Amino acid sequence: MRARVVVTLCVVVAVLLAGVPWIASPATIEFGINMLLLAALAQSWNIIGGYTGYPSFGNSVFYGLGSYGTAVAMLSWQLPFGVGLVVGAVIAVVFALLLGRAVLRLRGHYFAICTLGVAEVMTAIVSNLEITGRNQGLVLPLLKGNVLFYELSLALVVVATLVVWWIARSRFGFGLVAIRENEEAAASMGVDTTRYKIFAFAISAAIGAVAGGIHAYWITFIDPVSAFDIGLNVKMIIMAVFGGPGSILGPVVGAFVLSAISEVLSSEISTVAGLFFGIVIVVAVVFMPRGIADLLRRFHTYRWRYFAANVRATRV
Amino acid sequence: MNLLWQGIVNGVLLGGLYALMALGLALVWGVLNIVNLAHGALIMLGGYVCYYLFTGAHIDPFVALPITAAVLFVVGYAIQRRLLNLVIRAPMFNTLLITFGLDVVLTYAAQIAFSADFRTVNPSYAGANFSLLGATVPVVRLLAFVIALALTFGLWLFLTRTPLGRAIRATSQNLVAARLYGVEPRRIYALTFGIGAALAGAAGALYGVVSQLNPYIGTSLTAKSFVIAIIGGLSNPLGVIVGGLVLGLVESMTSLYIGATYTNVASFGILVLVLIVRPTGLLGRTA
Amino acid sequence: MHRIAFKVALAPLAIAACAALAAAGPAAAATITLGASVQMTGSLANTGRYYKDGYEFAVDRINKAGGVKVGSAHEQLALKILDNQSDDNLAVRQYTQLVSTDKIGLLLGPFASGTVIATSSVAEKYEVPMVQGGGASDQIFSRGYKYVFGTLPVASKYFESTIAAGAKLNPPVKTVALLYADDAFDVSVAKGTRTWLEKAGMKLVLDERYSTNASDFSSLLSRIKSDHPDAVLVAGHETEVLNFIRQSKSLDVSPKLYSFTVGVPSADFRKALGKDGDYAFGMTSWLPSASMKDRWFGNGEEFEKAWKAQFGFEPDYHAASAVADVEAFVMAIEAAGSTDPKKVRDALSKVDFESLYGRIQFDSVGQISLPQTVVQVQNGNVVPVYGDKGFINKAMYPMPDWSKR
Repeated sequence: MRARVVVTLCVVVAVLLAGVPWIASPATIEFGINMLLLAALAQSWNIIGGYTGYPSFGNSVFYGLGSYGTAVAMLSWQLPFGVGLVVGAVIAVVFALLLGRAVLRLRGHYFAICTLGVAEVMTAIVSNLEITGRNQGLVLPLLKGNVLFYELSLALVVVATLVVWWIARSRFGFGLVAIRENEEAAASMGVDTTRYKIFAFAISAAIGAVAGGIHAYWITFIDPVSAFDIGLNVKMIIMAVFGGPGSILGPVVGAFVLSAISEVLSSEISTVAGLFFGIVIVVAVVFMPRGIADLLRRFHTYRWRYFAANVRATRV
Repeated sequence: MNLLWQGIVNGVLLGGLYALMALGLALVWGVLNIVNLAHGALIMLGGYVCYYLFTGAHIDPFVALPITAAVLFVVGYAIQRRLLNLVIRAPMFNTLLITFGLDVVLTYAAQIAFSADFRTVNPSYAGANFSLLGATVPVVRLLAFVIALALTFGLWLFLTRTPLGRAIRATSQNLVAARLYGVEPRRIYALTFGIGAALAGAAGALYGVVSQLNPYIGTSLTAKSFVIAIIGGLSNPLGVIVGGLVLGLVESMTSLYIGATYTNVASFGILVLVLIVRPTGLLGRTA
Repeated sequence: MHRIAFKVALAPLAIAACAALAAAGPAAAATITLGASVQMTGSLANTGRYYKDGYEFAVDRINKAGGVKVGSAHEQLALKILDNQSDDNLAVRQYTQLVSTDKIGLLLGPFASGTVIATSSVAEKYEVPMVQGGGASDQIFSRGYKYVFGTLPVASKYFESTIAAGAKLNPPVKTVALLYADDAFDVSVAKGTRTWLEKAGMKLVLDERYSTNASDFSSLLSRIKSDHPDAVLVAGHETEVLNFIRQSKSLDVSPKLYSFTVGVPSADFRKALGKDGDYAFGMTSWLPSASMKDRWFGNGEEFEKAWKAQFGFEPDYHAASAVADVEAFVMAIEAAGSTDPKKVRDALSKVDFESLYGRIQFDSVGQISLPQTVVQVQNGNVVPVYGDKGFINKAMYPMPDWSKR
């Protein structure tokens, strides 16, 4: 009954968001594109990071492969944008399947650092490849108008959220959560942990790659440092953790809220925006380490003591 | 042949400085299980402290080095005591995020305080050099190398031979056991992070002498420190020296024989390979 | 479960908040607003800030002189400058915000070729002119865009005058090492340099690309040392050039001549190097000169004085180029008699005037053509050495060994 209310509300919100390009200014639409792409990325990270518990810093690699796959397909092979997106996604998924086999055996910080290393290696390799324009970057043709990009981004968020929703209630998802909580126990319960993890990694890669492809065509210029930006990966994590990792809607809400905060800061207080954003992160991690989802769930029992209780739970 | 010899000298000397950069990161990671993304920002701060001691008070950078380390120790102690101790038992993402936030804050604060001007610590002898079997050896880099070795060895002695050092190691292995030692974890944590920051400060002071400072140098230094810490492992400071030398030599040889744009492919490639082949580091213990 | 409902309700709230914010933008009256998003913080802030200073300085002076004549009315200039934190994505969104929300139809550019490539597509998309003095890469001008104008000269010609001077020095430069960063601008420079070298009959003994933001040059310097070229030409960024010069001292590498695309003309750079900066060659599209007449500043020299009085350091070509960008807009608006973006754009393509920065006239792709004067740091000062009319001052050449300086 209540679940139906939530679903209805989600549909209403999605429809409302779909109508935004017809009433909002171009600046708002571009802000929307950016916010929606971040939401999709946070959601893609949520699958491998939030549900499976593997703190990936390699999701920016999938994003970068999607950007470059799309760009190279359009520029070198003269394929249409739609096909380019598919090319980017296929490259990223294949890469995830190969990489996953090797790196998903690592745990915790070691996995994090290894994927971070992969991102650095990919930046360096792409900077040396002729077909990707080396470090000079690639210039894509200019498509006037933002509606296509906006609606595509929105569709990607919806698809990503549906995928997560499916994961959350499927046997596959239970397996992932079991891996997160205790991998050995999951294996002994008969979960094929390797296959589950790699599959989760690949889904995550596909979503990230499509986001990269949309962004590349929209911004018209990509270079290795911006396409494989580790800062973007950190943003995904921040948004997912801020919203609530391992929840269905948390990462999307986190992305929306933090994008809005960051946008207001950078247009209102300009030069100190970066500083304030850093402070917001620090304060959020200290006082609401489990994100907005947890805050909403437990605030009414704890009231203001909620924040103190969080600190008490994690300090020495 | 001569070029190869010069390349080896370059690589070894660079490696010493790299090792010192990574030493504090490895210590904090190994003992506190905090991967400190703000480590490079602490190195940057150390560089500025040394810069102002040198240009403001005309203190020789090598004399300013211990003062810089002491200042950074206080900074590091305060950060751990007042902030990181609050989240030390939180999930790993959270400690990663908080140090990332800290990195952003330190970088922007530095931009506001010191401006984006380029700075160098440039004493009269900064370019001095001598010839060794046909290779040119920069004196400052050699000094940096010696200091890095001395500090590493000193840290190793401290951790293995003093009661306080043993307490730190005990804390890293088992918090409950550490309490039995009569160790106050809050203080020990702050002390450890303080030492890590002091080492970063020393590295920053030397970095200002051989390279240049601006508020944004931190990120790439953090990334390099990861590579070294992973190659060297976290359990033993002496491993970090090996990690630094490996990275220094690899970068030098790649740049000499493959191409200067391939150094990152090589160094981060090694990081990934080492982790895949030996997940706990080349010389590391099991996690 | 209603709590989740609340959570979902946050989503449109974010959009609404932003729409409200968008609606709050001020509408300017009787002033002409120029918009820009520049790097005031972040990794490019060191040079980016010169553009902010330059824009503000020019607008201030033009307003004091009576503003801009549009038809029969005099209007004042205003600026809206945002900080893009050296983030290209943010820069693109800020330009969009300036155009669509703040209804600004005239854009000034950011610093750096990469940022210009990304942000100028906003100008093209919304058909508003952007005059930028921060990017010179060929990629900016080879896309067939109609709304982008640039006041930095063509990247491929940066070393042209240096090579011409090198051939006439005594002893003449015969062998050259070329090092360049792998970004769009410096690759363009390197490409041009190779053709100039070939024309001059000089031998390229080392031709190496290095990673942008590289900090260790010991391997490249060791190779230079073993190859003994007469001249070393470096196309890169300030931080790299700083490291290169300091490390060439510590590795005792002293070619007869070394020259750098950036750094030498900027005061901050020379201060960081101190005495070690001497002998370094560079080039500039601008030198303060009394012969460059300017409608607002008198001439180039007077501009330099006024700038120094206000900021406390000497302006370099970035600052002058930024000032020229503002002046180009004013000239175009007055010629068009309108602030309509399309009319101003057409007028920009036809402007031709003398300024403190030199003659401003855009070619068919929107770029300016200015000769690069060879300069050298001599006893801490920038001294012009060689221009399009031959030697201006004596070059300190060849560079002595580091031990003899």
